[in-house]
Amino acid sequence: MVWRCYPSFLQTLKLVLKPSLLNIHREVYRKRRLLDGQLQNAVFKRTLQTTASLLAPRILSLEEIFARTSLQDYLKQVENEYNDCLNTVNTNETQEEEQRAKRTKVSCLSPVIQSIRDLKAKEKEMAETEVLLKDDDQALRQLAEQEREACLHDIQVFRQKIVDLLIPEEDADLNDLVLEVTAGVGGQEAMLFTAEVFDMYQGFAHHHGWSFDVLEYMRSDLGGLRRASASVSGDQCYKKMKFEAGVHRVQRVPKTEKQGRMHTSTMTLAVLPQPTEISFSINPKDLKIETKRASGAGGQHVNTTDSAVRIVHLPTGKNINTGVWLQQERSQIKNKETAMKVLRAKLYSMKLEEETSRRYQQRKVQVGTKGRSEKIRTYNFPQDRITDHRIGMTVHDLESFLRGEDLLDEMNSSLEEFSNQEALLELLGETDQS
Amino acid sequence: ESISTLSSLNKSLQLIWVVYAVRGCSGLALPVQRITALQAAHSWSQLFQEKGVSEPDLSSRYITAHVLGAKTFESVKAETLSEPLCPEKTLQIWKLCAKRLKRMPVQYVIEEWDFRDLTLKMRPPVFIPRPETEELVDIVLSDLQKESGSLSILEVGCGSGAISLSLLKSFPQLRAVALDQSEDAVHLTKENALSLGLEDRLQLYHLDILKDAEIILNSCSGVSAVVSNPPYLYTEDMLSLQPEVLSFEDPAALDGGADGLTVIKQVLILASQILLNHGRVYLEVDPRQPPLIQQWVESHLQALCYVETKQDFNNRFVLSQMLMS
Repeated sequence: MVWRCYPSFLQTLKLVLKPSLLNIHREVYRKRRLLDGQLQNAVFKRTLQTTASLLAPRILSLEEIFARTSLQDYLKQVENEYNDCLNTVNTNETQEEEQRAKRTKVSCLSPVIQSIRDLKAKEKEMAETEVLLKDDDQALRQLAEQEREACLHDIQVFRQKIVDLLIPEEDADLNDLVLEVTAGVGGQEAMLFTAEVFDMYQGFAHHHGWSFDVLEYMRSDLGGLRRASASVSGDQCYKKMKFEAGVHRVQRVPKTEKQGRMHTSTMTLAVLPQPTEISFSINPKDLKIETKRASGAGGQHVNTTDSAVRIVHLPTGKNINTGVWLQQERSQIKNKETAMKVLRAKLYSMKLEEETSRRYQQRKVQVGTKGRSEKIRTYNFPQDRITDHRIGMTVHDLESFLRGEDLLDEMNSSLEEFSNQEALLELLGETDQS
Repeated sequence: ESISTLSSLNKSLQLIWVVYAVRGCSGLALPVQRITALQAAHSWSQLFQEKGVSEPDLSSRYITAHVLGAKTFESVKAETLSEPLCPEKTLQIWKLCAKRLKRMPVQYVIEEWDFRDLTLKMRPPVFIPRPETEELVDIVLSDLQKESGSLSILEVGCGSGAISLSLLKSFPQLRAVALDQSEDAVHLTKENALSLGLEDRLQLYHLDILKDAEIILNSCSGVSAVVSNPPYLYTEDMLSLQPEVLSFEDPAALDGGADGLTVIKQVLILASQILLNHGRVYLEVDPRQPPLIQQWVESHLQALCYVETKQDFNNRFVLSQMLMS
């Protein structure tokens, strides 16, 4: 059983979350189009290998990435691997099983190989054009100039394509998800902020055309939100939402504050990929389903309107259950279905973390539930700004941001690109060592 | 901003106090000032608590949510809950809560309840479906899913129609015959079937299995399954029931005789005569009854064979199955 390993995994998790471990020299690059955007205004410091706090990451352009020897080496290695496999497949000398493995490899690598070849061809064309730029004939020089522009554009396109193909896909990227918000420190003010963030992601889901079904909504007395969860499904929803998980911090003068003092409060967002029925199953014997009416008579003996349900996963104990009583529906069996959905998502993301924790532990952009104790973003109302601490990106206009539309999407896309770049550099780093 | 919040908070405290001060002995007096849904629910919950009404908090919340056009309090928007209620809505809450104070079940007060994914009309004295029965439907559903072709079931004691209508909703190729000894029940099932658009595949009869066995035999045969939540309470337990059950629900839907088995035995006899080969009987029964039922079937009905008993997830109510062999 996978779940037997749970305690040791928890310890690993604690280690992973220690911020000091994250002070690791990281460089990132960005796509050229975004270099011209607002990110240029953010402070990019050169990272240093010190014990000081996290430094804002530097962002590399495509040119810079392709200037790196590690990338060139990696591409050469990919080409060699491809050629080797192709030779083996063509010579037909090896075992059937090895043949099949090599054939799969060939088809996997062929798109990136094609792009590498396209790029090389363009670079050659570019070099030829550059000779013409020194020609005496002015008309020819002008023509060459136009040619060069077109070449440059194509080169960028092929570089981007190569980079996209190299970045590994996440296992859960295509899944639907369960989103869970919980108020953190700051009492009622934190709960009010939690309600706003929940609405923001509802807006974000709407913006992307995803469905957003509220599973649970526990409000506070003053109109805030203690905790809530929702089931989100739609195209690439997990791939985007995974970057939003973590601690969100708000700085403002709360409505309830009499002396006009500024408060800092927090809320936590967890994003749990929803497993498909086939990919992940739970043994019903491992579940303890509870209702509040567990003792005393039931059935025809009593009238009840209490339909709340809670499920405990016995092998993992109390740590993994739906936490609260789910009473969003009047039907008990519907509440049970909802509780199962939440439980499945929680167990599945635990399993995923277990599998990928080592791979991720040195990244700035932690995804999934691992980001839980990490402060990822600050919403500062007096300055009307939102800062993401992982990539040091700041945007202004809180009102638009909280609508969950373009502004949030912009920050989310930057995080995605940043994360892709981290993944790519990690890939190159591994190659360097081997 | 902060001062106004404070003063309105004070006002509401005052108001609750006023409400309590002028309360008569038959419930809460209608508030003079406008109050919010939260305050209304809170006041009634406290009074229910004082008067020993079961599930005081849930009762007042379900009634308030219903008046606001929602199913649960949790699904009402936060702003709506803290807005002052219009006088009509306040009056409606007061009227409905007064009924609950007299121990009328919430399901009858708001005249509807959910069973699985259906919303059904509820009306006294027709038996209110219990959560355990949702699980009985689960078991029948998972067995029917393995079957193919046209299927038919018989439900004995349909009440509001919960079991038959759930099954019909899930299986477009299924036909059902449902009967009940109560005319009110037959009418209510009819209404629910009509509002769910399931009336075409449902045959309804006002018949009593204890008296009209012959007629039932003549009007229905060759069914794939017999399903029932029959009256299974022991007569001696009837008097100790909650007022909600005792004073409002039809005793005929609850009282199963001295050993609670009177109707169960009739259902089994009928089943042995009308089931197709390998057809099944599904019953919700009291936890004390399965061994008695098994014994009785083995000695009286050779055609039936006891299959198994499943407990509901509170390990309290059991769902027994018998197989036609």
